Amino acid sequence: MPENFRSVSAVWVGLVCLLFYSRLVRVGAAPICTNGQAGCHILSLADLFDRVIQHSARMHGISSDLHSEFEQYFFPSKNHIGRVNRICHTSTILTPNGKENAQRLAREELTEVILKLLVAWRDPLWHFQQSIAHHHDFNNFSSNKALEMSDMVHELRKGVEKVAEKMQMLGIISNSVNSLTSPEALIPSDRAEWRLMKDYVLLYCFRRDSNKVQNYLKILKCRIIPQHEC
Amino acid sequence: VVVYLNLHSFLFFHVLSLCLGYSPPGKPKLTSCRSPEKETFTCWWEPGSDGGLPTTYALYYRKENSDAVYECPDYHTAGENSCFFNKNDTSIWVNYNITVVATNALGSNFSDPVDVDVVYIVQPHTPENVTVTVMEDKDGPFLRVSWEPPRKADTRSGWITLIYELRVKLEGEEEWEEHRAGQQKMFNIFSLRSGGMYLVQVRCKPDHGFWSEWSSTTYIKVPDYFPRETSVWILIAVFSAFIFFILTWILNLKSNSVKHCLLPPVPGPKIKGFDKQLLKNGRSEEVFSALVVPGFPPTTSSDCEDLLVEYLEVYTPEEQELILEEGKDLQEGCLKSKGSPSDSDSGRGSCDSHTLLMEKCGEGEGKEEKHQERAQKGKRQQKHQTGWEEGDVSHTREDVLSPDMSEGRVKTWPSVFSPLPQYSSRPLDHQGSLETARHGLQLPGFRSTEYVEVQRVNQEDMVILQPLFSSSCQRDGHLQIGQGEDYSKVKGVDSGNMLLLQREVEVKREEEDGDRYSCDIQDRVTESCYTTSTAASSQVTGKPTSCAGTAMPVQEEMVLAANGYVDAATMLL
Repeated sequence: MPENFRSVSAVWVGLVCLLFYSRLVRVGAAPICTNGQAGCHILSLADLFDRVIQHSARMHGISSDLHSEFEQYFFPSKNHIGRVNRICHTSTILTPNGKENAQRLAREELTEVILKLLVAWRDPLWHFQQSIAHHHDFNNFSSNKALEMSDMVHELRKGVEKVAEKMQMLGIISNSVNSLTSPEALIPSDRAEWRLMKDYVLLYCFRRDSNKVQNYLKILKCRIIPQHEC
Repeated sequence: VVVYLNLHSFLFFHVLSLCLGYSPPGKPKLTSCRSPEKETFTCWWEPGSDGGLPTTYALYYRKENSDAVYECPDYHTAGENSCFFNKNDTSIWVNYNITVVATNALGSNFSDPVDVDVVYIVQPHTPENVTVTVMEDKDGPFLRVSWEPPRKADTRSGWITLIYELRVKLEGEEEWEEHRAGQQKMFNIFSLRSGGMYLVQVRCKPDHGFWSEWSSTTYIKVPDYFPRETSVWILIAVFSAFIFFILTWILNLKSNSVKHCLLPPVPGPKIKGFDKQLLKNGRSEEVFSALVVPGFPPTTSSDCEDLLVEYLEVYTPEEQELILEEGKDLQEGCLKSKGSPSDSDSGRGSCDSHTLLMEKCGEGEGKEEKHQERAQKGKRQQKHQTGWEEGDVSHTREDVLSPDMSEGRVKTWPSVFSPLPQYSSRPLDHQGSLETARHGLQLPGFRSTEYVEVQRVNQEDMVILQPLFSSSCQRDGHLQIGQGEDYSKVKGVDSGNMLLLQREVEVKREEEDGDRYSCDIQDRVTESCYTTSTAASSQVTGKPTSCAGTAMPVQEEMVLAANGYVDAATMLL
């Protein structure tokens, strides 16, 4: 009797293991490569766009969280917020503030605007994160978010540059976008402006600008690849 | 004068109004601003008290970082107490500072300003064209719900990204079942109840904004069908019942071993003749009387083999140590082993041993088994022989076979006694060298012991003896009976209750036997001569051959053991 049980249970265990193994084997992921090597899944422009859009969405989410935390912490009364004069350092950058305006812009221009915005925020966010880290008022959660935000701007800029490269490669846009890489060219005005911004205003401005970036990217994508989720 | 009159009428009017209970308007309040598609937006306000006088409301706004104040361009499109901003007036990512003013004849009142950024106040309209269809699948029917985004929301250009949510419930239920559909415009609902009526609603929301209202309810009826799940469950039930039966059957088969494993049997008392029932019911006398087993203790020698165990040990005081020693050896074995020839007692009562002598060699051969086995006998013979070679002890048996031995064991051998004296006495008579006193069962002391082993006692109270081989033939060839290493084989017992001993034995196995050979022959001759007749004993000393002749015919019938042992039992006549 014990021998019967042992053999039966061994058979069951074997079957279960076989099932699991077959399932695992079946689910295989295709390798991703960028150079078109044989057997790779080449990243398409649509994939690149999806990635940067996701990235920008996350960035905007973090900035919204931080902004509302700030608002709660420092400005409990809503009306008080209204009286603060918010001047963002990126207001010098001309950005379309409507759908028609955005659609009227050429692809290259739109890409340029996106890159300008991303470049303009790299330094301020880095300094903001530094000041938050040293401030004992903020908890670890906030400082982690600030750090992540600052990293994301950097990553997103690189991602958008890659997209622009790909578009240029595909002939979708002209080659004029390359000149945007140097930050000095983008912000000719006094860089000290943003140092004067208070943290709260900075967050307010960045929340808006990250939304702009996300929206512009979506517009760009649906203009270039309309069939893909538009 | 005109100015004075105007002022006067104004004041008069005011005073009159106040006397009549009129007051300036209460403070209006901006309730909400919403944009359905992120291109236009509407603000609503709540008027305060009007103070009894007709009150007008105006909305003013300022754009971010600009001091210019603008009034609401459209008060009517969105209804009462609203302000509609059209596309031209709407700027996204721009902060609007909006205020509403209520004005009546007596005064005006400003509302609290509100900051609005259109991006964050988007609340789309409900999704449109919600269609639900019943589709078939191999697993059964399911609902396919599809819809379209609200007309005004421009998702095609990527300006707005909407995510959808739908909810379903059965008619009559209270709880809705909600599902997130992401950005897709289609959704499948499975696990439907056969024949049920379902209600479906859909709504949407931009990625940063407010949920729209639920769409109007769509009703759908699911046709009747047999759910596959039930059949699967039936299959599973049948299968498990089958397995269960098989297991039960196996368990039944092996119930004993399982029972043994789980409930090991508790050893209970096993008293022969003990009746538990009787004990429960009854009186102790009955119980105990039941324990009395007839035939116990055995009074008759029904199994005479057991009796072989009992024998009387006789020894002389100086040999007490040896006796003791042997006694110990003997006690090691079971009862039966006592009768083994290795015991000190063995050989008592044999026809050819004149004395009941103890094996002085004292080997620990108590462990040897039943003397019935010939192979063992051979061994014993060997041992005896070796033992004797080591040292012969002359035993002088002077003691009577009496049970009251001071040391050692006393064993009785009742039935054996009677035939023995016959045998014992004869060699003594004829052997002049035999000097020591003999007693009933005793043979005079010799230098070496001579043994005959009693195999068993048969029904007629006859002792069946087996002589033991003498190992050493280092004697001087004395034909005295009782020189211990000599063994004879009992050929048989003749009608005159005489033991016929064999003359020749072919010992093939051991080399030692060769030595014995001649001795044995002689002994045998001697013995055979004894047994045949008393008269023949005179022939013993000198004439083996003659005796051989008598012994011969019988010899062939002997059942020989390789070592020369005879199972005299077989030769009973």
